[in-house]
Amino acid sequence: MRCERCGVELTNKIIKINDVAYCENCARLMGYGKFLRSPEEMLGSAFSPFDEIASTIMQMSDLDFGNSALSCPKCGMTLRDFEKKGRLGCIECYNTFNDYIVKEMFKQQGESTYGGRMPGSTAELPGIEKIDAPAGKKEESVSAEEPKETVQTATEETQAPAPAAEDNAAEKLEKLAKADLGMLSDEDLENGIKLAAANEDYILASKLRDELKGRKAGN
Amino acid sequence: MKMWYEKEGRDEDVVLSTKACIVRNVKGYNFPSKMDDKDASSLLKKVDSVIDRNVFSGGMATDIINSGDAVTLMKAQISGRDGSLLFAPDRKAIYYTEDFGLSIAVGNSEHITIKAQAPGHDISIYRPAEKAAVELEKKLDIAYSEKYGFLTSSVKLTGTGLKILYTVAIPAIAKTEGGIAALRQRVGQYEWTIYPFAEQGELNESGVYIIASVSTLGVSEEEILARGEMLIEDVIKAERACREQLATKKKTQMQDLYGRAYGLMRFASLMSRREALDSICWLRLYRDYDDSCEFDCKWKMLNMITQEVCWEQQRRGEINTQTAQKQRAERIKKILKGDD
Repeated sequence: MRCERCGVELTNKIIKINDVAYCENCARLMGYGKFLRSPEEMLGSAFSPFDEIASTIMQMSDLDFGNSALSCPKCGMTLRDFEKKGRLGCIECYNTFNDYIVKEMFKQQGESTYGGRMPGSTAELPGIEKIDAPAGKKEESVSAEEPKETVQTATEETQAPAPAAEDNAAEKLEKLAKADLGMLSDEDLENGIKLAAANEDYILASKLRDELKGRKAGN
Repeated sequence: MKMWYEKEGRDEDVVLSTKACIVRNVKGYNFPSKMDDKDASSLLKKVDSVIDRNVFSGGMATDIINSGDAVTLMKAQISGRDGSLLFAPDRKAIYYTEDFGLSIAVGNSEHITIKAQAPGHDISIYRPAEKAAVELEKKLDIAYSEKYGFLTSSVKLTGTGLKILYTVAIPAIAKTEGGIAALRQRVGQYEWTIYPFAEQGELNESGVYIIASVSTLGVSEEEILARGEMLIEDVIKAERACREQLATKKKTQMQDLYGRAYGLMRFASLMSRREALDSICWLRLYRDYDDSCEFDCKWKMLNMITQEVCWEQQRRGEINTQTAQKQRAERIKKILKGDD
């Protein structure tokens, strides 16, 4: 059995929260650390306040999504089914179980906001060619339809700055590689990661990423 | 026409394949688990009407089973190792390109599952998957919300609906003490996951692992791909470094195991799955360090054998019967002889 959040193999300790298995580390990261204390830890002190135990037990009821009888008016999916299977029945379920779904999203991914592309559009991926528009073919089709002057301007525009842009990127990367990472802002780091990845300097990108991640973890 | 996995790929000493999976659902229909037969049939017709027949073959899963293409789909890693995509075939359809590198499955756990596969390390495989997805998004009313992105039955996929998977053969990391634990930690830093190709049984020790993206929310496709590329470069470097370490520190033993493994695979008449997997591991570990020039053992051949053994059709109780062992040994010999 593996942890549903990080995929680590579960060997000694399996923690189940609403029937989903997690490793101890993930359970702690998700904020359930207080429920993982052993009885010795909780009762170790002779003066361990009883109300702490009581409040812990009270909070544990939050783990059960509570209103399990709640059901989707369109497909009939109940909250209990969703808890058990981790799957929704229809789009309307997103409205019906919204609060629980957001909780689940945070548990699974630590996020609930969308950051991807719009339907029907393509993602901007530097370094990965778009299938529909190979550079050569696109230029040919433009030159067939457009007046010559426009093509020349376009060619100048697209070709002329390219070496400068490349030099600029190389310069920036060199600066980043030599920089004291502690002195860079988060935004600089984020931009640096994108630039390094686009230029296939993965070692630098991972260094910057680790720095950024370290800062976030520190916060 | 060669199948996608019979072609050569980049970094194929470590990366067996790169896959991009995108899931989408159509508005107006319940998700598959709550869909009645009438809706299931209507969805199949609707999707079928927008599939580009110049690019894709296939159709209803029942027809695919009747035509005997089910085994091919399994070998091409479209229908799952257990053929699960072909269960309840009257509610499903599968479309695929000539080399089976791009497929669209309808009616599985989500309405539409697009899968693009390439041998070796090749993240550009995302593009054909995206292209197929974009075409369907333009022709169908796809379930999408500005807040959550593409809506899916599984909350784990809500958002981009995109998963990138690298299948890697990393026997050197697996044989290095603490290697997999360290790799798991590294993978976790990128917010990706790693798991063995098979959780249990003989395949569990094959040295083959899957490294997959986890996040579909809070990240763009661009970020998912960039992180994957950074991560896989790390994995390739680590595996090669571990191989180098083993090959230089234990040269004599490695050379011996390499020769034995080659002999077994090349000349055995019966071969259990475990024997085959062990032998592939030793061949993979020492292939680049063998200076005897006595063995013709190309990476492509090794990957074909790995593919053969890992994805061979499983019938209950038949894996280690004499017939199965004989067939396995023959297929491996054929590949090593260069006849395949």
